Amino acid sequence: MNGSMTVLRILPEIIFTLTGVAIMLIDPVMPKQASRKPLGWLAAFGALAALIASLYQYSLPVGTAYFGVVQTDAFSVFFHVLISGIILVSALVVLDAVHPDTESLGELFALMSFGAVGMLLMTSGVELLLVFIGLEISSISTYILAGFRRKTAKSPESALKYFLLGSFATAFFLYGIALTYGATGTTRITDIAAGLATSHALPIAVVGLAFIVIGLAFKVSAAPFHLWTPDVYEGAPSPIVGLMSTAPKAAAFAVLLRIAYEAFPQLQNHWMPLLWILAAVSMTIGNLGALRQKNVKRMLAYSSIAHAGYLLVAFTVLSTDGVAAASFYAVAYAVMNVGIFAVISHAGGYEDRLTLIEDYKGLAYRSPLLGGVMAFFLLSLIGIPFTGGFFGKFYVFAAAIHSGMIWLAIIGLLNSGIAVFYYLRVLTATYTKPMDSSPVLNVPRVSAPLCLAMALTVAVTLVLGIIPGRVLSMARHAAETFPVFSTQQTPVPGTASAVMAAINTKAR
Amino acid sequence: MNSIGPLTLLTALPIAGAVLVLILKRAQKLSRAVAIVIAVAALLATLVLWARFDSAAPGMQFQEVHTWAPSVGLTYHVGVDGLGILLLVLSAVVVLMSLAASWRNASHGPVYFALVLLLEAGLFGTFTALNFLHWFIFWELTLLPAFFLVRLWGGPQRGRASVQFFFYTMVGSVALLLAFLALYLATGTYDFTTLAQMAQNGGLAAALQQNLHWGGWSGGHIALILFWAVFLGFAVKTPVVPFHGWLPDTYSEASSETTMLLTGAMSKMGIFGFLRILLPIFPAQMQEMLTPLLWLAVASIVLPAFAAWRQKDLKRTFAYSSVNHLGYCVLGVCVAAKLTGVDPSLAIEKSAALTGVLLQIFSHGLTAAALFWFVALLERRSGGLRGLEDFGGLRKIVPVFCGLMGIAIFASLGLPGLNGFPAEFLIFKGAFPLAGWAATAALLGLLLTAVFLLGILQKVFFGPLGKGQLETKTDTNSSSLPAAMRDLSTTERFALAPAIALMFVLGLYPQLIAGKMAGTVTQWTTPATSATEAYKTTAPKHNAARLEAASGAWLIHRKAQAGKAQVAD
Amino acid sequence: MVPVSYYLILSAILFSIGVGAFLIKRNIITIFMSIELMLNAVNLSFVAFANYWNQINHQFSGQIFVFFVMVVAAAEAAVGLAIIIALFRTRKTLNVDQVDLMKL
Repeated sequence: MNGSMTVLRILPEIIFTLTGVAIMLIDPVMPKQASRKPLGWLAAFGALAALIASLYQYSLPVGTAYFGVVQTDAFSVFFHVLISGIILVSALVVLDAVHPDTESLGELFALMSFGAVGMLLMTSGVELLLVFIGLEISSISTYILAGFRRKTAKSPESALKYFLLGSFATAFFLYGIALTYGATGTTRITDIAAGLATSHALPIAVVGLAFIVIGLAFKVSAAPFHLWTPDVYEGAPSPIVGLMSTAPKAAAFAVLLRIAYEAFPQLQNHWMPLLWILAAVSMTIGNLGALRQKNVKRMLAYSSIAHAGYLLVAFTVLSTDGVAAASFYAVAYAVMNVGIFAVISHAGGYEDRLTLIEDYKGLAYRSPLLGGVMAFFLLSLIGIPFTGGFFGKFYVFAAAIHSGMIWLAIIGLLNSGIAVFYYLRVLTATYTKPMDSSPVLNVPRVSAPLCLAMALTVAVTLVLGIIPGRVLSMARHAAETFPVFSTQQTPVPGTASAVMAAINTKAR
Repeated sequence: MNSIGPLTLLTALPIAGAVLVLILKRAQKLSRAVAIVIAVAALLATLVLWARFDSAAPGMQFQEVHTWAPSVGLTYHVGVDGLGILLLVLSAVVVLMSLAASWRNASHGPVYFALVLLLEAGLFGTFTALNFLHWFIFWELTLLPAFFLVRLWGGPQRGRASVQFFFYTMVGSVALLLAFLALYLATGTYDFTTLAQMAQNGGLAAALQQNLHWGGWSGGHIALILFWAVFLGFAVKTPVVPFHGWLPDTYSEASSETTMLLTGAMSKMGIFGFLRILLPIFPAQMQEMLTPLLWLAVASIVLPAFAAWRQKDLKRTFAYSSVNHLGYCVLGVCVAAKLTGVDPSLAIEKSAALTGVLLQIFSHGLTAAALFWFVALLERRSGGLRGLEDFGGLRKIVPVFCGLMGIAIFASLGLPGLNGFPAEFLIFKGAFPLAGWAATAALLGLLLTAVFLLGILQKVFFGPLGKGQLETKTDTNSSSLPAAMRDLSTTERFALAPAIALMFVLGLYPQLIAGKMAGTVTQWTTPATSATEAYKTTAPKHNAARLEAASGAWLIHRKAQAGKAQVAD
Repeated sequence: MVPVSYYLILSAILFSIGVGAFLIKRNIITIFMSIELMLNAVNLSFVAFANYWNQINHQFSGQIFVFFVMVVAAAEAAVGLAIIIALFRTRKTLNVDQVDLMKL
């Protein structure tokens, strides 16, 4: 492989790195009083460039680079596009929410870019060492971002909890890698499956896998490893919560998918029940927890636990359908969550003026645009048709039923019924006539970057809800990169031939 | 069939209208006028379709197919049979009535009108869709405007009521979706027509058996589970009795204009589901479960009638009465599912019952919408009061109002000559020979309906003057009682006149609807045999003749029944 | 020569002590140290496994891992201590039980 090709395989990562470095270099030479917002625009343009570069990566042939540690395939590129998009929107949201004279604003944008590098490396790394480093880059950046309002009481507390539990999870993840290495003699994801086949120490590998799953479950805040989530979300600045509830999670899910399906397909019978339980528990605890929250961000934290559960449902489906549904759900969830946090960040501001559900009373009367967008994303989170949330849930549960996970699907659907209550509570509040003392009365004017962010997220949610075909086929294409699935021919469902084929194979 | 057809345009019309209304938001008066014009246009469009609908032909008309998301089995497939076209017209009528009722309601701003138009689009979409997913999307989509309509413009408890309404319906929808996912996995299609065909020739149970391995259950058992899941979805929406918990609160807390929509049009979505999905796709399961189903139907007829009797609030009374009336529809559908073998005489009864159900759908939509319209008018005059105790002796003060509302009440209790009678008569005519005990028990509901509706007449229209009028008197500081409450204005009379006239027309000439439905009913009653081909050529004309006989028969019996009804008076 | 299993058992014990201390200890610095202990326990495993695989097929990538883990742990320590200082400035305490503004 020639050199230019090698560079192209990590082009989005390079763009993000250069953006971050540029911001770090420009920030100190800018006059002290000057607004740091141009740096935010630089970060946004960097993310946009990375997004374009990621889309360009679709045209590259599947292959590895840098001694086989990075792999560009449909799967990694799918998540590259998603993560770059999230960073782009988040940069716009931050631009809108913060005051131009916020302390060390430049570093905030630089950290976002650097964090993105880590997340992208997680999705494209096929060497556990690189995945680990990517995980750390993204985690360390988000620890700092969570504590960015360091003069307040809550923000450092949030950062500390995030940091301690995150490091704890990292240690588990790392121990899992060590045990896997011991059992198979390799740390390359693509070689582990072969190593397992000849391994004499399968029990060690099983324990290693369990530790890896636990470590990643912390990162995606799946119950019972979710305890940090509500506190961290409550204390961290809202624009950052939108970012850290989506991008690092999407990356962690990508790693989990890759490790489960590419490294440990032989141990399906071990990790599948584990993920089954994680999914059921996450959905239930997330939704029941959200029901009794009064704080909007805590409620959304629990809701994100529940959504992690829905996503894990797709993991238990051992087919392309499952991986495709998980990937699609990751997109749908990320877009609507970033979108709703865009509204919350604007209404509440960087200082978190609106915390309780009560505080949102009358938002729709005060600003019909914000209220409407908020309602739209809440409905998408519920899973109403014509939004991405509907098709996300639909694919996941359809895939689950397809593979015989009836109970999990029923638990999930009951849970989405419970979820209606707490989402509607917020929706109801926004459409209640405000009282004169309502804090919502002084919502700042909607700025251009916020408009752009909301337009992007609403548009993508609508596209996912109305014409999901293209994104779904991309997700399916991504799923097919795993060698497990290339052997068994799974025809596209929905076509008559596919059904006939299924009937024939089952009849035989 | 790749061009945009009339049904798509029909669905798009209210959406465009809603957008237009929102654009013109600042000009309140103009935007309202635009909404009304759009509703009238939609009604005219449905009437044109109605006129061009071929009543003799079985199967779907005005069909349209486009690809949408083939990877999940989602196609855009619309078409209407008699049921569809009937519901299109009914939705358009009810929406227009509701908008007309809102015309003078100052609290209903342009957003309200836009939401109603969106609801209309959702209804059109639901009643025309022939692919489950496509249908489901619209089914869910009607929930949104309805939720906001209840949430934003209603009584003091509207928050709770709206969430209750949303939650019940969501649970029902979830059950529906699960069942259809399973069906799709087994058969690979969401198309109603295809699924119905598979059910007819036994392919459905076989496919379920083959492709779903649920703990070793047989295809029949799985089909039964799926049937109950689908039933739950429709039972909540209609509602059928144990699943009606959301209804009284929602109907009474929503503003009366919204309740017109909920009961007049949205409740029909459940009956539509019974006729479009349950009856054709799960005929065997319905037959197997006939006795419990009939119990549920009878319970839906009798218990709400009792409950309505005990209510002190006009809206709650009419809400329960609504459940009771839709119970007749459920009864009609259930008896039509009864296995009758090849007994040709009973096919006539089935036709009668189904024709009755279709008539009842339209008749109840019209009557219930009219009744809630009157409640809206009454509320506006009394300053929001609507308790039975609050009124009395209205006949003396507002004679025209009482006269017209009296007609609606009589239509509701099934007085011959008005629209309720032929519908209920045909249902009972079909039900007696097919399921005698159920029909007999249901008669009790008929009797109770008469009791409580006449009770309303007596309490509200006759007797001493009540608080409602008096309070208005103190409000307006007028000296004389009759001036306290205004009678219907000329505009209101003109607005109400077509609805009242339609009640008489349908009462005297039900053939107007029944005739259009002939082909559809024939198709439904055609026995499910493997020799469907043979039937396709001969059956329609044959059965259409029978239907003529069936619907003619009630005319003969009418006098006898009229006597009965007068006794109830 | 000491068999590889001895190292692994020691590593597992150290890791468990780290987990236990993380859960029991109330001082933030001590909790942070227990995380370091866990990471170093993992490092011991890596080295032991690397030695084992080196004898079989000359695969010793585990040792490389150790270097990276050490570097990452240092980075984490820098950030972690910074966060702890920020917290101490606003709360004047290093006891986790008193860092409870947001209930769990």
